[in-house]
Amino acid sequence: MNLLVIGLNHRTAPVEVRERLAIARSRLGDASRELRETTGLQEAAVLSTCNRVEVYGLTADADAASRAARQFLAVPPHHLYELRDRECVQHLWEVVCGLDSMVLGETEILGQVKDAYAAAHAAGATGPVLNRLFQKAFAAAKHIRTTTAIARGATSVGNVAVDLAEKIFRDLAPCTVMVVGTGEISETTAKALRRRGVGGILVCSRSPDRAREFAAQMGGQAISYNDWPEHFPLVDIVITATGAPHPIVTADKLRPLLTHRRRPLFLIDISVPRNVEAACGDLEDVFLYDIDDLQQIAQNNLAAREREIANCRRLLADRLARFEQWFTQRYPA
Amino acid sequence: MLRAMTDRDFLWLAEFFFVASGAVTWLRWRIREAAGSLHRANYLAMLTGFLLQTAFLYLRGLAVGRCPLTNAFETTAFVAWGATLFYLLIGPTYRVSFLGAFTAPVVLGINAIALFFLNDTPHLALKHSPWVDFHAAIGILAAGGFALAAVVAGMYLRQERQLKSHRPARTFFLLPAIEHLEVISARLVTVGFLLLTVGMLGGVIAHHKVGPWTPGKTAWSVAVWLAFGGMLAARRAGRLRGRRWARLVIALFVWMLVTFWLVGLAPEPLQP
Repeated sequence: MNLLVIGLNHRTAPVEVRERLAIARSRLGDASRELRETTGLQEAAVLSTCNRVEVYGLTADADAASRAARQFLAVPPHHLYELRDRECVQHLWEVVCGLDSMVLGETEILGQVKDAYAAAHAAGATGPVLNRLFQKAFAAAKHIRTTTAIARGATSVGNVAVDLAEKIFRDLAPCTVMVVGTGEISETTAKALRRRGVGGILVCSRSPDRAREFAAQMGGQAISYNDWPEHFPLVDIVITATGAPHPIVTADKLRPLLTHRRRPLFLIDISVPRNVEAACGDLEDVFLYDIDDLQQIAQNNLAAREREIANCRRLLADRLARFEQWFTQRYPA
Repeated sequence: MLRAMTDRDFLWLAEFFFVASGAVTWLRWRIREAAGSLHRANYLAMLTGFLLQTAFLYLRGLAVGRCPLTNAFETTAFVAWGATLFYLLIGPTYRVSFLGAFTAPVVLGINAIALFFLNDTPHLALKHSPWVDFHAAIGILAAGGFALAAVVAGMYLRQERQLKSHRPARTFFLLPAIEHLEVISARLVTVGFLLLTVGMLGGVIAHHKVGPWTPGKTAWSVAVWLAFGGMLAARRAGRLRGRRWARLVIALFVWMLVTFWLVGLAPEPLQP
């Protein structure tokens, strides 16, 4: 008996190929059952995300099952990879731990694999071996996430800003964010803060229509561009992203606004040229980060995650050996 | 074997567990593996240290026939006991990650000063009264609250420095938000101040019951009360917060401890 995985991912196939092969979440169960019925696999499960499509199976004839699975996937062979037995198990476990993801250590993949397994299981495509393989994979992922730093520290500018905000403010719910100037990064940053629960969002832009549209997307309130200094004392987090050629927030302007504040102020300046004078960061209880700071932290976090890969593999090795022992006892060579 | 141990031996043993707590923190820091169980081990080591400190105070209390606050050594060990007690209560309540890592060295250091440097001759000159015990014990417990407030303020300064420097290290992810730390230290100072006030009222009653004021200690107590009270009033008025608050909490605690020892060294009739 052999365990087998055949598939493609973001490293082996471009998005044009992956999107052609992608299977909707609602069809994963049917696809797994069809795979089992048409390829001679005794157990089967199909995983499909935006970055990978993989079929997992248990078979008594690995070569025949491999040919059939390749026909099922129907993509040029140079996009596909195939792993068997120990490598197959290790691959799945590394996938669920986020070690094989485009963004190293991301956690979304665990939910996607759980969904794929649940669909295959509900469709009757899995059996005792794949059930154990996936259950052990989920347990391994939980262990890895809680005991290593593989998922620690954000790796995108927006999420780094959220991480920082959570280390400044006790609770984001009562915080108000002001977005001065709209753009792609300010939008993703504001969205990330909103997802993490910030209470209010004020948006101002030189284009009132754009401000209203942006505010509507965020569930916030648009304010006039000229009025933003009046609202400044009321906000806790300010995202500046205007095209102004000079700082619009200076230490001299900011200092009097801070005298009556009782909370810290977090300034996120993602514009180039910078909109916030660097001296503002020297003021007490003001935390200023520009785009370079945020990108540097994201890169450092990613580097730290990369340093954790060996640690994760070491922790997985013991579990892998135990699974292999169980499999060999069940199906002696 | 326990029978052969002196009360000071229990304090030494407590020190061993505070060192162990520090070692567990270091392990947690280095390997990260099984962080949850190491966190429990850290808390258990602190709890064991606390129980041993309690054993020391109990035995010493039996030996001197009153609350064991008869010299600078006992009083300092009592402050460390109070700080540990506050840690054991505050840690789980506020879920302050890594508080033990900062508390263990402070408690270890305070006890070490007591064990290595302070006079351990019981001074029983004052008449014994439950009110004297109440006054002293509550006052010293207040100092324990101030000690933990200083520990939390230290955590604040560490986290604030990382935020300002734009170079978050590994502790950045382990420490809570600065706003949270500031609120906790303010609450601890408030609790400490209320205890100090109650302790001082107990002192007034003790004076009526057993007699004379000790002018040096009285002046010192009033100065400490005014300093912490003034700090709380300034905070309430919005004039003291953030980094300055944290620095002042630490500075006042150190000042309080050092001046207490100096008052204790002063000749009669300043000391009890």
